Amino acid sequence: MNDTPSLAERQAAFMAQVLFDEAPLPQGWNDRHAAGIEVYRGNYRSSLIEALKSTYEKTERWVGEDAFRRAAAHHVITNPPTSWTLDDAGAGFDATCAELFRNDPEVAELAWLEWAMFQAFTSADVASLDADGFTWQTSGFGEEEWTNLRLEFLPGAASRQVSHNMRAIWNALGEDELVHVATALDTPQSVLVWREGERATFMMGSVEEARAFAALQGGMPYGEMCMMLAGEEATADEAQQAAMRAGALLGRWLNEGLIAALRT
Amino acid sequence: MDMNQIEPFGGFGLGLRRTHYADFLDSDVAVDFVEVISENYMLDGGRPLRILEQVREKHPVIIHGVSMSIGSASGLDRQYLDKLKRLERRINPLWVSDHLCWTRTSAHNSHDLLPLPLTEEALGVVCANIQRAQDHLGRAMLFENPSSYLTFPEDEFTEWEFINEMARRTGCYLLLDVNNIYVSARNHGFSAGDYIAGLPMERVRQIHLAGHTPGQIIIDTHDREVCDEVWALYAHAVAKIEQPVATMIERDDKIPPLGELLDELDQARKLAASARPGVAA
Repeated sequence: MNDTPSLAERQAAFMAQVLFDEAPLPQGWNDRHAAGIEVYRGNYRSSLIEALKSTYEKTERWVGEDAFRRAAAHHVITNPPTSWTLDDAGAGFDATCAELFRNDPEVAELAWLEWAMFQAFTSADVASLDADGFTWQTSGFGEEEWTNLRLEFLPGAASRQVSHNMRAIWNALGEDELVHVATALDTPQSVLVWREGERATFMMGSVEEARAFAALQGGMPYGEMCMMLAGEEATADEAQQAAMRAGALLGRWLNEGLIAALRT
Repeated sequence: MDMNQIEPFGGFGLGLRRTHYADFLDSDVAVDFVEVISENYMLDGGRPLRILEQVREKHPVIIHGVSMSIGSASGLDRQYLDKLKRLERRINPLWVSDHLCWTRTSAHNSHDLLPLPLTEEALGVVCANIQRAQDHLGRAMLFENPSSYLTFPEDEFTEWEFINEMARRTGCYLLLDVNNIYVSARNHGFSAGDYIAGLPMERVRQIHLAGHTPGQIIIDTHDREVCDEVWALYAHAVAKIEQPVATMIERDDKIPPLGELLDELDQARKLAASARPGVAA
């Protein structure tokens, strides 16, 4: 039996050396190899931490350089990269922040926001549907068409519920001198991210807006979304009010240029 | 045009880095080409791609990758190849290059250029992966000699023997990184002159010049100017290349104002002109 390791086995052992401090040195390696591996391990960690610093500039400023570096190092160790692009190194960092900054829950929300904006920044170039186009396409709609209408949002658009005022945090981070303003909201809201021209942007809204957006983005027809907002046991009056609120959301997304296309 | 041939292109260029976007967009920068890191533009859309297209209107572009991982025993990533091809079709570069190294296993990606054991098995893997990449792109590629911080007990070739055989078997071309030769020669105790003498210089289409960090192990950091020893090695190497060749300064960290890099590039121009008088670039 040939017990010489294959190239695949050698590379798996080498990768373990790079990723994990405690991995044992392969057979036949000496101090010179250990010193070389130290260089590769240092390059690996520093390039990933630099990638996280670049993606999460605002989160770093909010928590401070030292705390960020510790969080980034933890993220790199617990989430070794699998993707060919370094841009993906920041995936899931909001979850790492939720775990490490339990007493400051706004940090995870801010990290999510920066990640969503980072993703939107290089999303596919798709033109927004404007008000004239929307009017033209829906001019002949009857009840059935409205019920079955599906919306396509711009690629990269994303939403989530938040319990802190992301706008206030974002504005504070734009100042030369950072002041950690109180940002906890009395009631949860939502944040909606998309790309406007070449710039990623966001707006705050209601939790209902995030629910409606997520449902439509997931392929739910417009009529079903209206019923979802009204609730299962809604009266006719409540259903009508929900339809009006849905219409207002649709108008807001249209005005902001978030809608790419209509599908019936 | 023969898709397996890469015509020589003589000139002096720089890497396009975000810090210098405005310089390249707003003025006429005195370079013959720019090189970009492929992965920074293998995107679905947005501003970086738009900037690259604007720069492409002014200068020939080379796309230079760091993540193909031609040394991976687990093979190439199909999604990566598809995205690279899409960028290649969009930009129509002078050529596409990557490194003689591996960056990933089937489980993880190091995002660093890791060294290969120089064995017959590794050579077979590298050549099969290069063939697949070239077939996928429909054009020959350039591969860059790496800098490294360790060698393997199981090595069966010198690095230059390995590269020679790689080029012979695949028809690929070479991107000669003179700083990498210097770094590896110092780290492993071989002669940089022997390395250059052993390479098929007719396959070289491009040269990289960069700075490194001295120490017990010299590290290829691209964060400072080219040192005197690397300039001397450049003059030695370029004198042995008979065809036109593209020369580029690489800077990836502590990036200075563009003017400083253009001054360094002028130094390369002068050295090349005196090392091989009468040869265009």
